[in-house]
Amino acid sequence: MKPVVLTFSTSPFLGRMIAAAVISLSMTSAAWAQQQVVVSTFGINQDAFQRILFKPFEAECQCKVVVESGNNADRLAKLEARKDSPNVDMAVFLDFTGLEAANKGLTEKIDTSKLTNFGKLYDFAKDPLGNGMGVGYTAFGTSIVYRTDKLKEFTSWKDLWRPELKGRVAIPNITTSQAPNVIMMADKAFGGSSANFAGGIDKLAELKPNIVTFYERGAQVVTLFAQDEIWAAPVGRFNWGNLKKTNLPLAWMRPAEGEAGGVNVMIMIKGTKQADLVHRLMDKWLSEPIQKALADALVDSPVNMDVKLTPEVAEFSTYGAEDLGKLQLIPPAITLQHRGDWVSGWNARVAR
Amino acid sequence: MFQDRPLTGYLLASPALLACALILIVPVGILLSAAFQVDGRVGLGQFVSFFADPLNQDVFWRTLRLAALVTITSAVLGYIAALAIVGMSPGKRSLVTSLVVLPLMISPIARTYAWIVILGRSGLFNNTLQGLGLGDTPLRLLFTEGAVFIGLLQLFLPYMILSLVSALENLPRDVTAAASVLGANRWQTFVRVILPLTREGLVAGGTIVFTGSVTAYITPAILGGSKILMLETLMVQRVNVTNDIVSASVIAVILVATSLVANDLLRRLATSRRERS
Repeated sequence: MKPVVLTFSTSPFLGRMIAAAVISLSMTSAAWAQQQVVVSTFGINQDAFQRILFKPFEAECQCKVVVESGNNADRLAKLEARKDSPNVDMAVFLDFTGLEAANKGLTEKIDTSKLTNFGKLYDFAKDPLGNGMGVGYTAFGTSIVYRTDKLKEFTSWKDLWRPELKGRVAIPNITTSQAPNVIMMADKAFGGSSANFAGGIDKLAELKPNIVTFYERGAQVVTLFAQDEIWAAPVGRFNWGNLKKTNLPLAWMRPAEGEAGGVNVMIMIKGTKQADLVHRLMDKWLSEPIQKALADALVDSPVNMDVKLTPEVAEFSTYGAEDLGKLQLIPPAITLQHRGDWVSGWNARVAR
Repeated sequence: MFQDRPLTGYLLASPALLACALILIVPVGILLSAAFQVDGRVGLGQFVSFFADPLNQDVFWRTLRLAALVTITSAVLGYIAALAIVGMSPGKRSLVTSLVVLPLMISPIARTYAWIVILGRSGLFNNTLQGLGLGDTPLRLLFTEGAVFIGLLQLFLPYMILSLVSALENLPRDVTAAASVLGANRWQTFVRVILPLTREGLVAGGTIVFTGSVTAYITPAILGGSKILMLETLMVQRVNVTNDIVSASVIAVILVATSLVANDLLRRLATSRRERS
């Protein structure tokens, strides 16, 4: 005991060092006791999400955000496997995967009275899954990006079938989030009106001579354009920023039929012990500063009506009542109901 | 050393066998057994439904077709290269052998991306064609079976060459001379003397090339993409994208079975020839 007292009194520097060590030690033990919230999310743009959303939230809530990332199918399967003892508190999905999770009883109803930003959301984002099981946090348009130096202006989805595009088109694979939108627009563009977009698969089968390959990830489309393998491809708006960075003469089609679109949702996992933190994180995610920062970083388009974007950023987003109002959204229940048929139709006639 | 004491031999081998069984055979067995379960009972139903899907049939036949084509082509090119290498002076031979081995030392991903640079629409091959005035519109070479074939051939040809070189090195030097003294021309010498005497090298090389082509992932993934699916790329798609572990297990069983059958067929081919001669 004695030497320590001596050290403290004789060397202020060493004393401060020891004090710092003691404090950091106690902080570490506090961290052990700290609460944590586990979020299952997409792998894309993780750096931006950490910087804009998760780190600031950690500072606010004095808690830790643990991210588990992966694609829709993969993460849903994990949630299902651990249904009885969930280790995830909150998840974000495409709307139809969110609905699948809800239908499987994996979700807890969200208490929207705890979300101060709920009233500021566009209507379509308020209850996309029904029964209050999910809240939309972003929306995206799906349209065709094409080379303006090689092709005359695109005005309709039908333009993808033009003969001069032989061997020059990439379309999203059936396993991707964009595929249902492409099937829907292929059906609608040629006058189809059935609820399951059955004609879409037939039309895509006719598109085969034009198709170079099916892409699985957004990054692949960027490479395909950059290598001059393709001149046109249906893509999600969230990929437009990366495509523009190629400096190729590319344009985003404003189709006569309107843009197809999708909504991403946040859900709360049934059995979570962090319902309070989950609601706080959801509320922060929907708040104007975060929604704007994510849009400015070209990560996600905002669904909070208070967000005002500069024209430069808006160019890369699906933004504003006009853009969003025109989006043709497939009800998630319809996608879930017909996806099996689409996959088998696709495998039999488009992918072969 | 242990022939007269078999028990000691078994005892000494058992730790390695046990480790192998625990680390490899048991987990692989568990993984593959998922393919034989239908509603909790053992059956082949998963295989029936796998092959009922026309896309899966396409992928299966494409995989076999490309692997066979790569094996045959690499055997032809391999014999030409190996005969040339064996005939070289020792110094030249080691230089050429190291050139053959060199591609194996480059990461398969870098090697495959290099093919994109060559085969791309604005790549080396198309630019050369256009430069020579042989074509106006660039050919589409990527994402075709041809691209996968070229990639796999380059990947596995060195193994065939090395295997044939070592087989030819073991060939008694006098036999080819004896054959020509007895009036055989070069083709007859090759077909009736060299080929039968080096068939074990051909079988070994052929097994490596065929099995390797069937189970390659990176090359078909990059050069073929989702439109030219092979069994391996289909399996990865099932696991990573659709999370369909059961049909992935079915594909894994098919891959293992295909490799075993191919190996057995090639070995039979070698023995039946030996018995005939």
